Amino acid sequence: MPVPEVTEQVSSDASAVRYENATKRYGDSAEAAVDRLSLEVPAGEVCVLVGPSGCGKTTAMRLVNRTVELSEGDVLIGGESVRDRDPARLRREIGYVIQQVGLFPHRTIAENIATVPHLLGWKKERIEARTEELLELIGLEAELAERYPAQLSGGQQQRVGVARALAADPLVMLMDEPFGAIDPINRERLQNEFLRLQAEIRKTVLFVTHDIDEAIKMGDRIAIMRKGGRVAQYAMPAELLMAPADEFVEDFVGADRALKRLALMRVGDIDLWEAPLAHVGQATVEVRAKLAGAEVPYPLLVDSERRPLGWLSERDLAAETVPARPDSPLGPVLDRADVMRDALADLLQGEAQYAAVTDHDGRIDGVLSVEIISEFLGSPKAKTEEHGAAERPR
Amino acid sequence: MIGALLPPILPASIGGAIEFIFEPQSSNVTGGKKVGGLEVVVELMLNQLEVTVFALALATAIALPIGLYLGHRGVGELFAVGLGNVGRAVPELALIALMAAVIGVGLLNLTIALAVLGIPPILTNAFVGIRQVDRSPVDAARGIGMTEMEILLKVEMPLAVPTLMAGIRSAMIAIVATATIGPIAGVLTLGDFIINNNVYGENGLLAGGILVALLALTLEFLLAWLQRLLTSRGLRLSEA
Amino acid sequence: MSSAALALPVAKVGEVGESFFHERTSETLPCQASSSHLFCFDWAKENIDSFGTPTLQHLELVLFSVLAGFVVAMALALLAHRRRWLQAPLLAITGVIYTVPSIAFFFLLLPLTGLGRDTVIVALSAYTLQIIYRNAIAGLANVPAAAKDAARGMGLTETQILWRVELPLATPEIVAGLRIATVSTVALATFAVFVNAGGLGVKIYGSGNLTFPTSIIIAGGIAMLMALAFHLALVGIERYATPWRRVAAA
Repeated sequence: MPVPEVTEQVSSDASAVRYENATKRYGDSAEAAVDRLSLEVPAGEVCVLVGPSGCGKTTAMRLVNRTVELSEGDVLIGGESVRDRDPARLRREIGYVIQQVGLFPHRTIAENIATVPHLLGWKKERIEARTEELLELIGLEAELAERYPAQLSGGQQQRVGVARALAADPLVMLMDEPFGAIDPINRERLQNEFLRLQAEIRKTVLFVTHDIDEAIKMGDRIAIMRKGGRVAQYAMPAELLMAPADEFVEDFVGADRALKRLALMRVGDIDLWEAPLAHVGQATVEVRAKLAGAEVPYPLLVDSERRPLGWLSERDLAAETVPARPDSPLGPVLDRADVMRDALADLLQGEAQYAAVTDHDGRIDGVLSVEIISEFLGSPKAKTEEHGAAERPR
Repeated sequence: MIGALLPPILPASIGGAIEFIFEPQSSNVTGGKKVGGLEVVVELMLNQLEVTVFALALATAIALPIGLYLGHRGVGELFAVGLGNVGRAVPELALIALMAAVIGVGLLNLTIALAVLGIPPILTNAFVGIRQVDRSPVDAARGIGMTEMEILLKVEMPLAVPTLMAGIRSAMIAIVATATIGPIAGVLTLGDFIINNNVYGENGLLAGGILVALLALTLEFLLAWLQRLLTSRGLRLSEA
Repeated sequence: MSSAALALPVAKVGEVGESFFHERTSETLPCQASSSHLFCFDWAKENIDSFGTPTLQHLELVLFSVLAGFVVAMALALLAHRRRWLQAPLLAITGVIYTVPSIAFFFLLLPLTGLGRDTVIVALSAYTLQIIYRNAIAGLANVPAAAKDAARGMGLTETQILWRVELPLATPEIVAGLRIATVSTVALATFAVFVNAGGLGVKIYGSGNLTFPTSIIIAGGIAMLMALAFHLALVGIERYATPWRRVAAA
């Protein structure tokens, strides 16, 4: 067995979680629900446990706060075994969010959020300040504090569920399909909000889902689990998509895994082509000269601030000077910060070969083409057939 | 055999009964001795209230913790629910009569007998009420580190208030109704007007009925008010 | 030996209270010389016949009361099912009636029905209203909206939906209400003795005084067996009437 690394003393807000041959067997059943699971989640990272139903992912997660007791092996939080801890005290240091939210219907939103601080015996003023802070953090108006859960929408309830879990500044967060019961539009919004929140609070998060797209979106690391609580692959999302360990992972990740990789990239992450630029009134001869060695066969008309105006056609170049109104419309304009998957969708939607990419200030930065994306995906043009899938809502 | 005691239709009237409650009336059966009146009414009513409150408190003190514990642990369903079914089938009259005959008469013995009547509905409802609590807040409570006792007291019990109180109200109705026949167990309650009707006369019978009904309705009203007080507004909102 | 002869001495007029009970022990009855004899088999064997008439009377009281209560409660439930605004007030009214102790109810009816069987049947049936009504309303409310919608979509009229969809699906709750009401009524009918309407109460509190333990136990036992029989019969009816639930449960 490898010698356990000395767990680094990270900031007080987050601890690494380490499974060491963690095993859960129910009763005398021969097959374990979780079988010798060994996994390390570094402090401050989101680890998604994903897999088909019955793969033991929820059981594995629950071993951490001892709502499911270990049969063999161990789980360490910040180097300390959970076995040595009193379950109730342990759980107060671990945030817990479940799909059904489980808010206490008989308590106000503020009282719900203050549950753990109360259990820990915080002073009234400290609890009040913390509740206020958390409401702001999750983006709920302060006047909702005195409402009851029944008066909130499903999305708002789940935000409160997250705030309640965060109340006592836990070392670790456990999230069991937290957005599973929310409609797709609000789910996306909550996912984004949580990612923004996580960027701020940097908790160690164990996140359970059966949705591979959610896993790729939320996870710093993903553990794909198969029946019997075994990890089929534990890797960063990009690695998982690029190099699935076996057929099971490949199947689970899906045939469109190449496209999923696009969801992980931003336009600025890729090498763009340089656009041959043209200004109004410039001699067309000059422009034609630029085109000679360029990757993009059309000149892009820009204004004096280098902001794109439109593409010039052969007909435009037939004149002496560059006209103020180009023949072809500008088509899609992308931002460097756009996600590649959306950029591809824009190109396809606009039936365009090329799209101008601008920087933060709207100035031209380069050109993205379908060809660049195809090359990135590592396959010839033939694969573009598949691209229609990108427009399908998740 | 029966029917020898009372004529089939008594010339009782509401007016006569009300007079009986407030002013002692002369009765033909007592040979001119006056019966009834506010003083007697108040005394008997307080007796009935006393034995009802004692018995209900005793039944609650015994049945509630057991029902809550079994409900929380999720064990003993057969016992908890079966007891409720059996309890409903026990004839109150026979129970009181038998206990009076076997353990004797008096306030303590009647209190015990009445508490026995009140135990089944309280225990069954406590068990069922806790079991019916939505599992997700309980799972969340455990997950965020409440002890089992805290889960029971801070989550399950407040959420089960309507069912718990329904059990206590059922028990109260059974106890106050049966306390009416207290005189056969040596405790003079309002039922004395009914059981010893040969003393109080026909207006006494009707007056007894009116008074017992009023007492029961008042207690029921008080418990309904208490239930409202104990039920969180959030719970009422989520049920609406 | 008649039960009247066995009854304990009647309290002397005007002397209710302590003396009322102390006198009882002074008289020696069969098996009662020793108070440890809770149940006297000799007496039971000899007198079991005398329980026949009270048992039949008891059965009669229960059947009439429950039948009347069921008819009225179902009528109210169906009315409230059509006219939703009636649900809450009817629940409140039947609730108030339910709270009035049955023994008090008997005497409230005194000016109307006098003493006797009618009074008992009116009071006990009124007592069953709340239980049967509440369960019927809950049962009808629990019918899946999709089933009603589908029926409506296939062109069933509201009346047809009621009889072919709603009532069959609400049967378990309705029968459960009937079962609880019946079992309670069997126990409560013992109070009929206080209005001279007979029943098993006579063998508990005969001729204005307590009988002795053996008689009380037998009468109470018969009442409980009767309650059990009704319970089992209604469970059987429920199972027979809802074959789809048997399949689902298997």
